Amino acid sequence: MKPLTTGIAGIALLAVLVLAPLGLPPFAMTLLTEAVILGLFAMSLDLMFGYTRLVSFGHAAAYGLGAYACGWLLLNTGMPMLFAVFAGALLTGIVGLGVGWMCTLATGVSFSMLTLAFAQLLYAISFKWTSVTGGSDGLAGIPRTVGPFGFAALSSKAGFYYFALACLVGGFLACRALVRSPFGAVLRGIRENEAKTTALGYNTRLYKIAVVAVAYGLGGLAGGLYAPFAGFANTELLFWLLSGQVLIMVIVGGAGTLVGPILGAAFFMLMEHQLSAWTEAWALYFGLIFIAFVLFAPEGIWGLATGLATGRFRPASERH
Amino acid sequence: MALLELDGVTRRYGALVALDQVAMSVEEGEVRAVIGPNGAGKTTLFNVITGTVKPTAGTIRFAGHAIAGLPSHQICRLGVSRTFQITALFPEMSARDNARLAAQARHARRWLPFGGGHVFAEAEALADAALQQLGLTAIADRPAGLLSHGDQRLLEVAMAMAQQPRVLLLDEPTQGLSVEETAQAVETLARFLKASRMTVLLVEHDMEVVFRLADRITVLHRGGVIADGTPDQVKADARVQDAYLGGLE
Repeated sequence: MKPLTTGIAGIALLAVLVLAPLGLPPFAMTLLTEAVILGLFAMSLDLMFGYTRLVSFGHAAAYGLGAYACGWLLLNTGMPMLFAVFAGALLTGIVGLGVGWMCTLATGVSFSMLTLAFAQLLYAISFKWTSVTGGSDGLAGIPRTVGPFGFAALSSKAGFYYFALACLVGGFLACRALVRSPFGAVLRGIRENEAKTTALGYNTRLYKIAVVAVAYGLGGLAGGLYAPFAGFANTELLFWLLSGQVLIMVIVGGAGTLVGPILGAAFFMLMEHQLSAWTEAWALYFGLIFIAFVLFAPEGIWGLATGLATGRFRPASERH
Repeated sequence: MALLELDGVTRRYGALVALDQVAMSVEEGEVRAVIGPNGAGKTTLFNVITGTVKPTAGTIRFAGHAIAGLPSHQICRLGVSRTFQITALFPEMSARDNARLAAQARHARRWLPFGGGHVFAEAEALADAALQQLGLTAIADRPAGLLSHGDQRLLEVAMAMAQQPRVLLLDEPTQGLSVEETAQAVETLARFLKASRMTVLLVEHDMEVVFRLADRITVLHRGGVIADGTPDQVKADARVQDAYLGGLE
């Protein structure tokens, strides 16, 4: 029964998201669009963290790189927004191949440190390469160029929301196909016992490089959406704080579920918005919520939801 | 011609000679045990054959291919499968999924990033056949991490068999089992080896297990081969008694 219930829940959630622009005020639409973009970003990290146990401390590199690349194209070429977003994603994916090649020279904590080092490298470049990145001011006034093919509808508030939502749904379907494929089965093998996976005859390093490239490409797609959404790209998009936050979104939402990190991103944004209206120390309170999740609901929001729906919920202390 | 042939295989770690000019050949269909005291180089021999460790010198020929120094995944794909001295499984996957992932490694489209129903179906057929050979069909759906230790050891053998290897390397298959579990596992292995006519290279400490399963025995001592022959020949060999059996007492 479980796949059926989650399937119905997924379709219901999608219906709500599709109908949202009809009922929501503009301010809420802005928040929801950002949640969709961040959801795509968190989901991309889940491929590495949740499915392959590759802990990245530098996933902001993908987001920032996608945003800067897309923003630069929109500011400096006449490329329509639709193409600029995907060009940003493609570039980030290609860079991801190199990052994956470099970082998989190491394993475990050293892998994580290398991802962080690469993100910090991009962060430093974004400050220094002023002619391209705008330095500490970043890129401002990024337009939603319509271009000659008449994608005008995408530039409106609702239109851009549907564009982002289509990217999220498309990205989700692609990721779901990937993790259910033979390739995904190998990723799960690497997650549970990499040495054994190698001994079975898999060249595990190639699989890890590939999954890093895909995760970067999708993270770059999210960043590429953010640039025309916000109208700017700045150094904060490459900062380690964002790398930490997206890890928290994945864990709170439920790692290794794809849907969970999307919900985790929405939950993070909602909490940031609600708590910061009430106190300046909102991050402290969110930290407490994060600790509570790790201790009492290690399978995250999605694990809680599906557990409640099927009556299988068990607290952490009773899990084997 | 022998299926697996080693000649002058040497592995040094600095001043230590872990394998010293090892020469041996294993015929198709033979069950060969490699025995020797602790530190004789048995596991190093396995690691060198499977490519986990590169030999310092010497040649290894397997089914006509020179495999010495190749990466382990390539050697594996030529038809060499192994089990480990310490149980290595995917604990959260079912026994069937463990064997299926093993079988998938031999499929030409093991990397397919979408769909792949036919890859899974073919791999699962091989997995189920291997599980049946080792008498594990009844527990196929249970997570591997929850199986008894004896079943986990047999599951490792089933995973190796699901790859349809031409030679199977078993590194102490009864390691860590109680006396009763060992007896059961050895019975299952003996029945399976007889039925499958598999070429096997076996490292084992337990002499009863060795004499029960092996057709021929190679004795390693301080990295070198000191005897090679049928169980009776090896039992009667004075050097073996001196170096190995005597050394135990």
